Amino acid sequence: MSVALLLRRLIGTLPILLPISLLLFCIVHLAPGGPLEVYADNPSVTPEALEQIRIAYGLDRPLPVQYLLWLKSMMAGDWGYSIRTGRPVMVEIAERLPATLLLGGSAMALSLLLALPIGVLTAALRRSTIDHLLTFLSFSGLSIPVFWLALMLQLLFSITLGWLPAAGFETIGDSGPLDRLAHLAMPAVVLSFATVASWSRYLRSSIVEVLKQDYIRTAFAKGHNFAGVLIHHALRNALIPVVTIISLELASVISGAVITETVFAWPGIGRLFVESMEGRDYPVLMGLMMLGSVSLVLANLLADIVYAVIDPRIRYE
Amino acid sequence: MSLPGGVGPSLRGAADAFVALAALGACAVSAQNYGGTLTVGLPYDIDTLNVYTTATLGDVESAVVEGLLAPDQDARYVPVLATEVPTLQNGGIQLTENGAAMRVTYHLRPGVTWQDGAPFTSADVKFTWEAVKDPHYLAESKDGTKEVLSIDIPDDLTVSVNYRTVAPSFASTLFTFGILPRHLLAGHDLNHDPYNEVPLGTGPFQVKEFRRGQYVVLERNPHYWRRDAAGQALPYLDRVIYKLIPDSNTMGALIRAGEVMLAPRIPFMLAKQLQGAANIALVSGPMLGWARLDFGFKRDTPLRDPIVRRAIAQAINRAALIKAAGGYPVAIRSPVIPLLKDLFDDSPDATVPDFDPAAANRALDDAGWRRDADGIRSRAGVRLAFGITTQAGAIDHEIAEQIIIAELKAIGVRVAADNKTGIAYREARYKGAYDLLYGHWVTAADPVYSVFYGSHGPLNGQGYASPALDAALARIESTIAPAPRRAAAAEMQRIFAQDLPSLPLVTNVSIAAMTTRLKNFHINPTNMTDFVDIASWYLAPLPTEAAAR
Repeated sequence: MSVALLLRRLIGTLPILLPISLLLFCIVHLAPGGPLEVYADNPSVTPEALEQIRIAYGLDRPLPVQYLLWLKSMMAGDWGYSIRTGRPVMVEIAERLPATLLLGGSAMALSLLLALPIGVLTAALRRSTIDHLLTFLSFSGLSIPVFWLALMLQLLFSITLGWLPAAGFETIGDSGPLDRLAHLAMPAVVLSFATVASWSRYLRSSIVEVLKQDYIRTAFAKGHNFAGVLIHHALRNALIPVVTIISLELASVISGAVITETVFAWPGIGRLFVESMEGRDYPVLMGLMMLGSVSLVLANLLADIVYAVIDPRIRYE
Repeated sequence: MSLPGGVGPSLRGAADAFVALAALGACAVSAQNYGGTLTVGLPYDIDTLNVYTTATLGDVESAVVEGLLAPDQDARYVPVLATEVPTLQNGGIQLTENGAAMRVTYHLRPGVTWQDGAPFTSADVKFTWEAVKDPHYLAESKDGTKEVLSIDIPDDLTVSVNYRTVAPSFASTLFTFGILPRHLLAGHDLNHDPYNEVPLGTGPFQVKEFRRGQYVVLERNPHYWRRDAAGQALPYLDRVIYKLIPDSNTMGALIRAGEVMLAPRIPFMLAKQLQGAANIALVSGPMLGWARLDFGFKRDTPLRDPIVRRAIAQAINRAALIKAAGGYPVAIRSPVIPLLKDLFDDSPDATVPDFDPAAANRALDDAGWRRDADGIRSRAGVRLAFGITTQAGAIDHEIAEQIIIAELKAIGVRVAADNKTGIAYREARYKGAYDLLYGHWVTAADPVYSVFYGSHGPLNGQGYASPALDAALARIESTIAPAPRRAAAAEMQRIFAQDLPSLPLVTNVSIAAMTTRLKNFHINPTNMTDFVDIASWYLAPLPTEAAAR
């Protein structure tokens, strides 16, 4: 794919974001309640004070006006202020992004590292004991709830063995690489557990499908050994559906992992999203969801590029 | 010292041991008890560290920012930055000649400095009022600003607050919440000032670092004004680290692993799991709040009939609710909880009917509500079938709701759960879109009941209106002399028990899990949190250190 084409594709995706933003705005505002409802339980909060805040954040205006104002300032690079904290939305998000990228990135790398060999191995040795064992593990990974696995790991590694910190991002006053790694280990394993299971299953069935093709038989007939055929002929062709799955997962690296971040008190985007959702913090929610949408659109674009790299038959005009 | 009531039966022994230990400790805190870092687990994310803008309780702020007064562990006001609590007796409160307004005079503690060394004066107190009432300042907690007409500061240590009316609840608002530093904030835009992240106070600890979503680190204020009984400087602790742990299972794991040494307000379920765990003590005490079952009057249902409401009141067995909540809560039958000794009246006609299902059945029979084939009562085609709403996902609430449903079925009233999540729940509550509603109220040390039950009360979503109750509420809320105020409160409770707009069920209980090394910790029943008394907490040495000595 040429650079010009890439740019054209990038610019072509921009109009998609407009209806997405309108849809997101409607969804966010369709949810009952508003950002000031958190104060409803507090008898010391006066209705006058709430009215002042409502006006200051423009919440008293009609929804279409609120949307247009938001769109205008978003285009100008101003994402507004968080209603909960009074701080710029950009700052709120930028502060949480590194933790989410670290966790999501590590989990993704770990998943790839494990899923590819497991997928290839189970496909190559299908119906063997190893295949059955790994298949069993895969289904466990798909069916074990994330929070339960997290709790079990905390029990074993933090309470019983005392090897790893049970939660948190770093030890206060010690943010060295080893300390960071110790805090990262359990959340990254938990987050990658289900992904490894799912990706390896996709890869396995994809390879099994490819191995039935005529050109594989031809390759064997030409005298190639099994490993050679598997790696050079089958794997590359089997990767196309897997790339689709992985690229979709790539978007979630940026939008955060809600449960894992909550259980491990990880200060990432996922938790910010939950907190903002609970508080109906519209400006932060819109910022986060637009970020998620952009990353999903970009991940799709990336998938298209990777298709062309893997499969020379795919060409974009 | 004494532990407030409400310690669960299974904890009684542990609590007694704690009392004994703490009493020993309080006698003589020796020099070796200075120092140490206390790690605290908070179950919520912090929005701001400014007491006037945060939507959460001020567990961190209470250790940093002080007010003129503060509520103690018995919900009674004690002086902090003021030298005494103003009353009619000590001349601190003076009524105007016609008795329609009042003037409250505070004498400030001399020699107090802000954590940056600047002197604390009466100008700071006046500035706090001016800053908070400013319409451009987007603070939620502006309660108490409107009632003030003017403030006189004749000298650096005297503040006279002139109120427009007689405001008996003056102590639970503005100047108790916290004083803002004038020298730091005058002329600033408080909506976006760094103060909201790193507040400056006169309290025992100062904020060293606040990492959003992660932790807050407080360090000892070396200039703190308060001293202990032996004349030694407070606080005892060197550092306090608040870790933000949103998941309660993780909180449990951190407490067990020793990474969290104190977790205030833990859920009942977690307390149950931590019972008997080594080196962990559970402390509980009543909160200024209560669980209640509200009747909705906005819909035309048989709940508008006082006979039906009385029967429902007699069908509810509070013992079952308490058992389901681990034995911690305490039964109540008045919205004025017994902890508020100045207002509470326990005479039989001032409390709502107690559990008596036989009487409930008789009353409904007599009123012509006959049981149909399915056991549910009806009269002239109208069935006693209602929906009950509570906050979905709040496990303690949902369990209580199930018990109420079962108990009402026993008297022939069918109730079906109609639960709503967080904000949808609050909206239903605001608009009165329910038949029955189970929920909790929490109040300040000086509750203003008209917000809940006054005809125009901002939290009266149920649509209850009683001119007689309004009059009694107005008398409570405009009388400062103790005896007539108490009489008005008794009158209010009598009308409430007669009308039954709502059924008070149990008091809320606060349970804290902590390391057995932490001493002098008490549950504070008010919205000022347990941390209001943090200056006197200390850590006993580790067992190994003690043995080595």
